[in-house]
Amino acid sequence: MLNRPISNESWLHRVPASLKLLVLGICGSALALVQDWRWLAAGLTITLLAYASLGSVARQQARHLRPLVVMAAAIAAFHAWQGAPAVGGASALRLLTGVLLATLLTLTTRFDDLLDVLEKLLQPLRRFGVPTARVALALALVLRFIAVFHQRWQRLDDAHRARTGRAGGLRLMAPLTIRTLQTAEHVADALTARLGR
Amino acid sequence: MNNAPPHRSFHSLAQVALFAALIAVFGLIPKLDLPFGVPITLQTLGVMLAGCLLGARRGFLAVGLFLLIVALGMPLLAGGRGGLGVFFSPSAGFLLGWPIGAAICGLIMRRVSRARGRTVLWPGAFLAAFVGGIGVVYAFGVTGLTWIAHLSWTQAAVASAVFLPGDLLKCAICAALVQTVARGLPHWRLAD
Repeated sequence: MLNRPISNESWLHRVPASLKLLVLGICGSALALVQDWRWLAAGLTITLLAYASLGSVARQQARHLRPLVVMAAAIAAFHAWQGAPAVGGASALRLLTGVLLATLLTLTTRFDDLLDVLEKLLQPLRRFGVPTARVALALALVLRFIAVFHQRWQRLDDAHRARTGRAGGLRLMAPLTIRTLQTAEHVADALTARLGR
Repeated sequence: MNNAPPHRSFHSLAQVALFAALIAVFGLIPKLDLPFGVPITLQTLGVMLAGCLLGARRGFLAVGLFLLIVALGMPLLAGGRGGLGVFFSPSAGFLLGWPIGAAICGLIMRRVSRARGRTVLWPGAFLAAFVGGIGVVYAFGVTGLTWIAHLSWTQAAVASAVFLPGDLLKCAICAALVQTVARGLPHWRLAD
């Protein structure tokens, strides 16, 4: 689940991650500035066309977008009911377009590539004392440990079920949190031993 | 930071990274539903805990790191949401309020644990979780709703109030957890 497999390549997969990020930034800002619903509707149409052009990748993800459509419809309906349908329409269109654009980027870009872009973007910050190498190390640690903690949670839950016959639920938060804090110490010791600074 | 002894700096790094992972795991835990159908996810509990246990600075960094990974596209928010899209959604304000909320939690927690010692911590932890995890996060969230969904302030506040019972419950759980950690890990320096 963490390395979302991108099975079917599309034209957008081959566009460099940095360019996609730049386009997203520009479009996102434009969305915030444009007020006229007709321009926003045109933007949404173009975005939908781009989304449809991805083929099966887009179809697989389409069900995740259903709550978004419901939310947009609710916003539009609410404003229409309040007597300002144009405002509601514009908000709903802006929301749909923004989320779809960002989803386009996420769907067609590997996590590693985004991480590379991020590291490059952070480079200039190094001069101001931002430890970019440590940010990258922290990101890698988080990804590794999500899997570990999830497994640990399941083991605690299994143990609780074996003892009581019921799911552990909230009762397991305390052992999980304490284990996390203890693990943090071990990891810090291991890092100090390996990297030696 | 640069003057800290080296082993302390790796301790901070590991704590920040592991708490970011813990917040992610809280999102994978099956969510509870209140009787009237409002979902409670445990992720805001992770935000409160990060502030209370790690302190303002590291709590802020842990939540920020988690959001960065979400922004890069990992589907780690409760319900499998992720990617830059969530930062355009009407509830984006709540997400941006998380790191600030964690920082405020940490500030209050430090005050309280210095003033009251660590034998009876839970009232202070509840207060910290309430102000940081509810007060600050809702202030950001409601502002976001008025901007993105163009609701009026009252409408946005009413819409957010649905989550209040669940979040109050999380404050209580947070307080109990902080007390347990204080007892289970006596050498842990709370919100330091």
